[in-house]
Amino acid sequence: MLKRHRSRQYVVLSVMMGASMMGIGCGAKQPSVALESARTAYTQAEQKPQVAANAPTALREAQQALNRAETAWEKDRDETEISHLAYLTEQRVEIAEAIAERELADADRETLSQEREAILREARAREAEQARIEAKRTQREAELALVDRQAAAVQIESLQQQLGALQAKTTMTERGTILTLDSVLFETNEATLKSGALQNLYPLVSFLRENPERTIMIEGHTDSMGDENYNLELSQQRAESVREFLMQNGIEPNRIMARGYGETAPVAPNNTAAGRQQNRRVELVFPN
Amino acid sequence: MMVQRFQYVRWIGVGLIGCMLGLGGCSAGKAPTATLAKAELAVDQASKSKASEYASLELRTAREHLENAKQAMQQKNYEQARRQAEKALVSAQLAETKAEAASARQTAEELRKSIESLRREAGRSSMKN
Repeated sequence: MLKRHRSRQYVVLSVMMGASMMGIGCGAKQPSVALESARTAYTQAEQKPQVAANAPTALREAQQALNRAETAWEKDRDETEISHLAYLTEQRVEIAEAIAERELADADRETLSQEREAILREARAREAEQARIEAKRTQREAELALVDRQAAAVQIESLQQQLGALQAKTTMTERGTILTLDSVLFETNEATLKSGALQNLYPLVSFLRENPERTIMIEGHTDSMGDENYNLELSQQRAESVREFLMQNGIEPNRIMARGYGETAPVAPNNTAAGRQQNRRVELVFPN
Repeated sequence: MMVQRFQYVRWIGVGLIGCMLGLGGCSAGKAPTATLAKAELAVDQASKSKASEYASLELRTAREHLENAKQAMQQKNYEQARRQAEKALVSAQLAETKAEAASARQTAEELRKSIESLRREAGRSSMKN
């Protein structure tokens, strides 16, 4: 009877020790530093409005991790496991905070992207507007220049009429308006102006007097008959004769240029009489 | 006969206590193959993400835990394997998320700089006119 009693005692002892290991009917538990840390981390994150707003799911997962850690602690699991679960909790808290950061940065990025787009649009609109203004200005300038040229041409056409006897022809070119005079101004092979021609040139003098801003280029041309150097010289002298005439009548020398081109710039073929006559000419160029 | 039974009971008690103290060799259950698989997937995903650029430290940590988990599995240390796998999983997720946040921040910063310079340009050109 004594032996049975003792074996039962040992069984009870084992069970009691086991029970105490499971924390049943025992005193205070060991606090866990790791768990405290995890609790703090979670609470801090939970209280941040941007985390609760932007990462609710992740925050919930962190809470669940914390609950697992708490449960392990309550059930007196070993510290290794509690520390492990606490660590997982803290990691999950960090994930929630990172998600919140990401969401805020994404929203930021979206706003900034739109702002940038708006600035670019504005800049493009401004550029387009400036281009339009510039185009209009250029167009206006061209129109004004055209009007100027047309006015000038009208002017010169009236001059042409005044030079009626000389039968001048008017042409508008890029260089300016050109009055083409027949070589009847001069005797054949002569560079001196015929006296009849002189009289008919007076309207030219008046024109230049009335329009002091005007300049004139006198250009002499011949046909291809004869020596080309001779033709060059002759055409030069003829141009200069006209220049002399103008200067003698009070037109400032710096307004008049005289040049001979000889046979180098024909306006008609030289193999017909009509063509040759056309080439024998003096051109009065009025620059725009 | 009685003595033998008594000794048997005593050893059961010791074994039970030892097991609850988490002494080695007490596997507390099955191999954590599912957890390990999840961890492996997470680490793989993180490796392919921007984590290698923006969160290399966290990624390395995740990889180390994964290696530890695999080794523990081979050694049939299932408790350790589970813990290391769980650590690897969260580390990988953290690496990925941190990288996403860093990348978004950087893009926002670049946009800020771009806007600043555009504004300066606009200021200059409007002054010219």
